[in-house]
Amino acid sequence: MSQPALTVTDPGQAAGRGRRLLEIAGAASIAATYVFLVLTQPADIANGPASFSALVALGGFLLGAVLLIVAVLPVLPTSTLVLIPVALVLNVVLGQLMGSTGLPFYIDAIGTVLIGVLAGPAAGAATGALSSIVWSFFNPTVLPFAAGAALIGFLAGMAARIGLFRRFYLAPVAGFITGILAGVVSAPIAAFVFGGTSGLGTGAIVSAFRAMGDTLLAAITKQALISDPMDKGIVFTIAALLAYALPRRTTFQFPFVRRFRVLAGKAPSAPDA
Amino acid sequence: MTLRLHPFTALTAAACTAVITTAAASWPLSVAVGLASAVLAVRRGVAGRVLSAAAVILVPLFLSLLVLHGLFFPEGHTVLAAWGPARVTAEGLRFALELGTRTAACVLVFLLFSFTVSVPDLVSALSARRIPPQFGFVLASTLTLLPAVAGRLERIRQAQETRGMVIRGGLWSRAGALRLQMIPLVLALMDDAGSRAQALEARGFGSPGPRTSYRDVADPPAQRLFRAAAFVLAAAAVAARLVVSWPAGGPS
Amino acid sequence: MTAATRTALRARIDAFTFHGESRPALRDVTLSVTPGSLTAVLGGSGSGKSTLGKLLAAWLRAGPAGEFRGSLELDGTRLDFHGAPDDPRINPAEWSRRVAFVPQDAASMLSTVRATVAEELAFGLELRATPRADMLRAVERTAARTGLSGLLDRDPATLSGGELRRLAVGCAVIAEPDMLILDEPMASLDAAGSARIEELIRGLCATGTGVVLLSQAADRLAGEAMHWTVLDAGTVTAAGVPAQLIGSAALEHAGVLVPGVLRPEAAAVPGQAPAPPAAPGPGPARLEPGLELRGVGFGYSQDQRRGTGPRQRVLRDVDLAVRPGEIIAVTGPNGAGKSTLLRHFNGLLRPTEGDVQVCGRSIAGVPVGTVAASVGLLFQHPRDQLFERTVLREAAFGLRQLFGKAEAEDRARAALAGVGLSAAAGAVHPAELSASQQRLLALATVLAREPAVLALDEPTVGLDRHGLERLGRAVEAAAARGTAVVMVTHDLSYARATAHRILELDGGCLREL
Repeated sequence: MSQPALTVTDPGQAAGRGRRLLEIAGAASIAATYVFLVLTQPADIANGPASFSALVALGGFLLGAVLLIVAVLPVLPTSTLVLIPVALVLNVVLGQLMGSTGLPFYIDAIGTVLIGVLAGPAAGAATGALSSIVWSFFNPTVLPFAAGAALIGFLAGMAARIGLFRRFYLAPVAGFITGILAGVVSAPIAAFVFGGTSGLGTGAIVSAFRAMGDTLLAAITKQALISDPMDKGIVFTIAALLAYALPRRTTFQFPFVRRFRVLAGKAPSAPDA
Repeated sequence: MTLRLHPFTALTAAACTAVITTAAASWPLSVAVGLASAVLAVRRGVAGRVLSAAAVILVPLFLSLLVLHGLFFPEGHTVLAAWGPARVTAEGLRFALELGTRTAACVLVFLLFSFTVSVPDLVSALSARRIPPQFGFVLASTLTLLPAVAGRLERIRQAQETRGMVIRGGLWSRAGALRLQMIPLVLALMDDAGSRAQALEARGFGSPGPRTSYRDVADPPAQRLFRAAAFVLAAAAVAARLVVSWPAGGPS
Repeated sequence: MTAATRTALRARIDAFTFHGESRPALRDVTLSVTPGSLTAVLGGSGSGKSTLGKLLAAWLRAGPAGEFRGSLELDGTRLDFHGAPDDPRINPAEWSRRVAFVPQDAASMLSTVRATVAEELAFGLELRATPRADMLRAVERTAARTGLSGLLDRDPATLSGGELRRLAVGCAVIAEPDMLILDEPMASLDAAGSARIEELIRGLCATGTGVVLLSQAADRLAGEAMHWTVLDAGTVTAAGVPAQLIGSAALEHAGVLVPGVLRPEAAAVPGQAPAPPAAPGPGPARLEPGLELRGVGFGYSQDQRRGTGPRQRVLRDVDLAVRPGEIIAVTGPNGAGKSTLLRHFNGLLRPTEGDVQVCGRSIAGVPVGTVAASVGLLFQHPRDQLFERTVLREAAFGLRQLFGKAEAEDRARAALAGVGLSAAAGAVHPAELSASQQRLLALATVLAREPAVLALDEPTVGLDRHGLERLGRAVEAAAARGTAVVMVTHDLSYARATAHRILELDGGCLREL
């Protein structure tokens, strides 16, 4: 048996194209499912629970999330991979902590956003999707929202990449925009799979829109447009606070942070390798 | 407990039951599935945990559905009562019942799975298939870290109270205290993760190639057959539902 | 495997700089290790020992971790690094199969995804696709070697500190490496635990493994090494055989602890000696006790700590009075309840019987955060106690409410000066300090409030020589100001050197020693 080499060569780009196709397929699956659901939403839900739409939403969104995970996970460096469990734990624990302060938000994506900021959009998307899958171990109702969570992680990474985390006041703006998109994408799940929202406060807002004669999907989408941008604005702000509270040795170990100068402050004196 | 289920068998059973229940969309079936899960939970001795976890999820959902559809259901025709803009309709109540029981059945089935499955067996089974080993790592590592983090948070709180932090009632004061608790927690977790990454790479985690498993998880042929049958059944249910209600946008 | 391999590891580090930092963590370091030999790298806290160890074992690699200029040579294969993008990339899995590393925090070696000790041991073999039969044999052999045979079915999370360290060593040696690098293998182990590790290391050397010991104490095991390298502020200041270096200025300057040599010195610090040091002086008897415990009893209820039987009594009928200016040491075996006793002083734990009084007032019902104004408590793990962005902000935290804005910063700076951290005040993140400095910073945050009572939990663990000296000085200065000091320590010689009275906690009761 020949001894393996002590060194490795530069990872080839051959496998990259296949993965990129998977990523695109995943994103396309999510987008197509959303468009399909909006176009074919039952005109009259009084005929019965929207089982058809529920199955399509579950199938399409979960397929998309799984494709994204399959595309991204095997190529993540170990240093990023070990952060995903940490992010999931932070999502759960910080979400509970924020809940204990009595703020009327769910704040359940801090870890996902933090990973997106430190390790990039792909890692953020995988973290979001995995977060939903692992969390569904304790709360199966979060499983269908995997696609929305992946979108949040992806957008957090993109925001970091174009420098929105370099200015502190831009982070909540990025969160606000992310919240709009994520809220709209997640609304069909809430509408068709659960028939409403899981909180009484959000339920009341949906009720108000329903009282005005909106369809269920429209009412839930409008509710999401009210609460989600606010929520994600807070989440992005907290993630920015945390990213700046970390010592530079910790944040600068991420190639993504070094390469795109994600965080403000003077660049390291040594030239980037 | 003579029958030891392969983790995939349990997972398949749970997933297929949930899919079939969703496809069937009939509240008597949903109630039956929910009750069956509860009975199984009692027999496996996890009823307390499953039911309390389910209650935390389902009670707010039920209330929300009841308020939402019970009072405001513009599509409803059979008005039972009306106060100003709020109208209680038979269709709305039925819709709330259908969706509530369906969600309850799915939640109970999945919780029964997650509270009875042996996580090490599941991870081992996952890595034996062509599922990326990273997925098993994320799942198992999260489940290991969660209880450890709760303990760590308690230690941090104690250490900070010792330094004179008094948590007062005000929202800002509490948010400030929260920030101070989060920073050492995140820092310590990221630090640990950094060294864990180095240790994992040193032990060969990053390298591609085949892997073997120390833990041996038995997978009897009968269970494989069962899984295949469950898949076919679930697929049939989905197909039937799609065919029956396909022209959603056309003539309904 | 090739026959008659004489693996040797040679390293020349011109400079290694972490990303985002301007000063190299290591510069001008050379080291070579031969098979079957024991080599010690000695240096104080923050001297770069761990960075060196991780660099040698490819835990830190050029590129991902930082910029590296120098060369590494293993078994005749030499890799040169110039800090350029086309530098060779080390394959960590393959390098570590030959040069293994065990970190100081043994828990960070574990995968966190394996449910039993046996599976944790096998984890590295699974990843290398070792056939199951071979794996079973290797696990059995390694378990026997590391004394884990009886623990194979235990959950790694339930192991004691010593068992955990042996498991980490087991995980490293199961792949039969030629070299093993151990970072502070004795840290926070009791005598029995240390002895087992020593034995294990001697056995590894005897079977031909080259062992590198990274340590801040020139202890018994380091004394057996063939070669010492003294590391100070990231560079080598002396190297040679132990006999040459023991007692050398370089060793002293590096802050290396030499057991039995420096303890008296740590207490008798020149320059300021207002209080009578080791003499158990009577103290000012006029004052009421700063801290008084009257008939305190305590037991953990069953659900708080599993498996301890019905409500185990940890403390029973404890009476203790500490006068202002008095230094008291509490010793006792592991698990005697020393930390539990300490947590009663500020109300983190509330006694089930009896009463705790601070400055003559009972603290029953007073929130911990309020008691903190008069009782300062230093924990074993300083990391949990630190949360600010800079060292100065850390020391000034909460002072403004007590003393006003102007005085708060003065007091913070004075407290930092007292523990020798003035230089780091404005710019350094507390997490970037060395472990020793973090402990001292936590001490400064407590001292800045000028508490009436100072309680220290194992303050000496992990401190290097400089740290110990500063700790001794700070504690004495506090006592001279009239602070009542209680320290819990398993280090009897340190207790003798610093304390006025020594008490032993045994069977839940306190008695004079």
